[in-house]
Amino acid sequence: MGRMWCLTAISAMVDVQSLRLVLAEPFMQRALVGGLLTGALGGLLGSVAVLRELSFFSDALGHSALLGITLGILIGVNPTLVLIPFAVVFAILVNQLVERSSLPTDALLNIVYSTSLAAAILFLSLVETYRGGIRQLLFGDILGVSTLDLIVIALLLAAALIYLSLSMRAQVLLTLNQDLAGAVGVQTRWHRLAFIVLLAVVVAVSIKAVGVLLISAFVVIPACAGRLLCRRFPLYVVVSAALGGSCALLGLLASGLTNLPSGPSVVMVQFLGFLGALIVSSGVFRSNRQRRTATLTIAGSE
Amino acid sequence: MHSPVLVVNDLSVERSGRLAVEKVSFELQSESETAVVGPNGAGKSTLVAAILGLLPRTTGDIQILGQPLLDNGHLPGAIRSQIAYVPQSLSLQGRFPLTVAEFVGFGFDPPGPSWPWRHRSQRRDAIAEALERTGCLDLRNRLLSELSGGQLKRVMLSFCVVRPRQLLVLDEAQAGLDVPSNERFQQLLLELRRQEGWTVLHVSHDLDMVRRSSNQVLCLNRRLCCSGSPDHTLTPERLIDLYGPNVVPYRHQCHG
Repeated sequence: MGRMWCLTAISAMVDVQSLRLVLAEPFMQRALVGGLLTGALGGLLGSVAVLRELSFFSDALGHSALLGITLGILIGVNPTLVLIPFAVVFAILVNQLVERSSLPTDALLNIVYSTSLAAAILFLSLVETYRGGIRQLLFGDILGVSTLDLIVIALLLAAALIYLSLSMRAQVLLTLNQDLAGAVGVQTRWHRLAFIVLLAVVVAVSIKAVGVLLISAFVVIPACAGRLLCRRFPLYVVVSAALGGSCALLGLLASGLTNLPSGPSVVMVQFLGFLGALIVSSGVFRSNRQRRTATLTIAGSE
Repeated sequence: MHSPVLVVNDLSVERSGRLAVEKVSFELQSESETAVVGPNGAGKSTLVAAILGLLPRTTGDIQILGQPLLDNGHLPGAIRSQIAYVPQSLSLQGRFPLTVAEFVGFGFDPPGPSWPWRHRSQRRDAIAEALERTGCLDLRNRLLSELSGGQLKRVMLSFCVVRPRQLLVLDEAQAGLDVPSNERFQQLLLELRRQEGWTVLHVSHDLDMVRRSSNQVLCLNRRLCCSGSPDHTLTPERLIDLYGPNVVPYRHQCHG
């Protein structure tokens, strides 16, 4: 028993030692800050996106972004620089398509994203030198986040916070009923477009760190967990952002210690957070407490 | 003599490529209650959307409280804040993290961007008073998505009453309510209209309620078929003209 305890203590010390080593690396420090900011940004915008049923939009945009990256490679420009204008144009086009077409939004998004994904894969197959990098595009490389990336993400987070704080009434009313929002003076078209463009820019900026396949998890999972836990709207937005940031931080630390891929590690931590929220909100603890109280009452009466 | 709260002149509106409302003109006098009736697809909701500036007009003019509604749906903020609207439903799929008090508070805020903590104590008092007047004070911490249909409609009236307004527009607000909830909603609406001096425009299929509560009825079937007092417009002959020969008008004896 004593020997077992000693072994556990030694392995914990080794883990603390490896954690210290990992944290001492500048690239890891940048990755942690990047993860915290990207996770918080995803949770923040996700809180509104999930209520407005735009979860699939972020997924579709993430997949379509591969075309933007491919175009960047083809014309010889840094893919990150091409990605932001590509995402903005994509968001505006999809918004127009949804407004003007009589087809359901999910069907339209499916058409747009599968076509752009197909085009991206076709173009990528022409670029011999880039075949090896496809894994990084799909799953992201948060360890490669630069200081400039951090500044861009921090500015974006500040812009998103200010915009959502100033337009909270507009965002909620627009989600509840577009006509009600318009009737009380909300510029419905402007706000809808502004939010979609902001979401598109956030997705574009986060793709480098998170990857095309996992970006929607950053938008959807923390917001869904926050939705299960909160009753007041501002608290819901803050909790979603906090969950997004903290899950990313924990996931990156776990990834650094276990040497597993960073993006999937973060998503697994987000999923665990969601499960926790589900358990707390489903009242498992409450009903257990009630059962215990009932048993005590019965025991007392006997 | 007060000037009319709403003037609609020669209004035509296109929707989905066809003329949904054609050459409609009418006025709403201050503190009156006007009902828009007609069959499904007659253009009632389109008319309301055009009046609120949510749909572009093909022809015609709309004036609200003496101010023209611009082609892009713009109204000065001071006029816009005098309008309240109760839609048929709210989009509340699943758990929506918004309490009744928060929702009513959004009715207090002026149009345009503002920080959430602005006028905090004034806002809190106004919310409490509005909820009390509509009998919803005990619902203040409930989630909007947890309410029954009748409760939700009363909360929507709290949203309207949380700040003084002049024009209240309801688009089939009683849809989906059972008989007792409908009666309670009507009673509350009548009380609030008297207290607030609202001018009301409502779209309704409940002809019995329209007969009891409205001063003016607009019978719409793309064009304005007839308008005037309930006794003048809701006659069996006119209703058969409006809804078709399969309609059997029946007047509830209890209400005379």
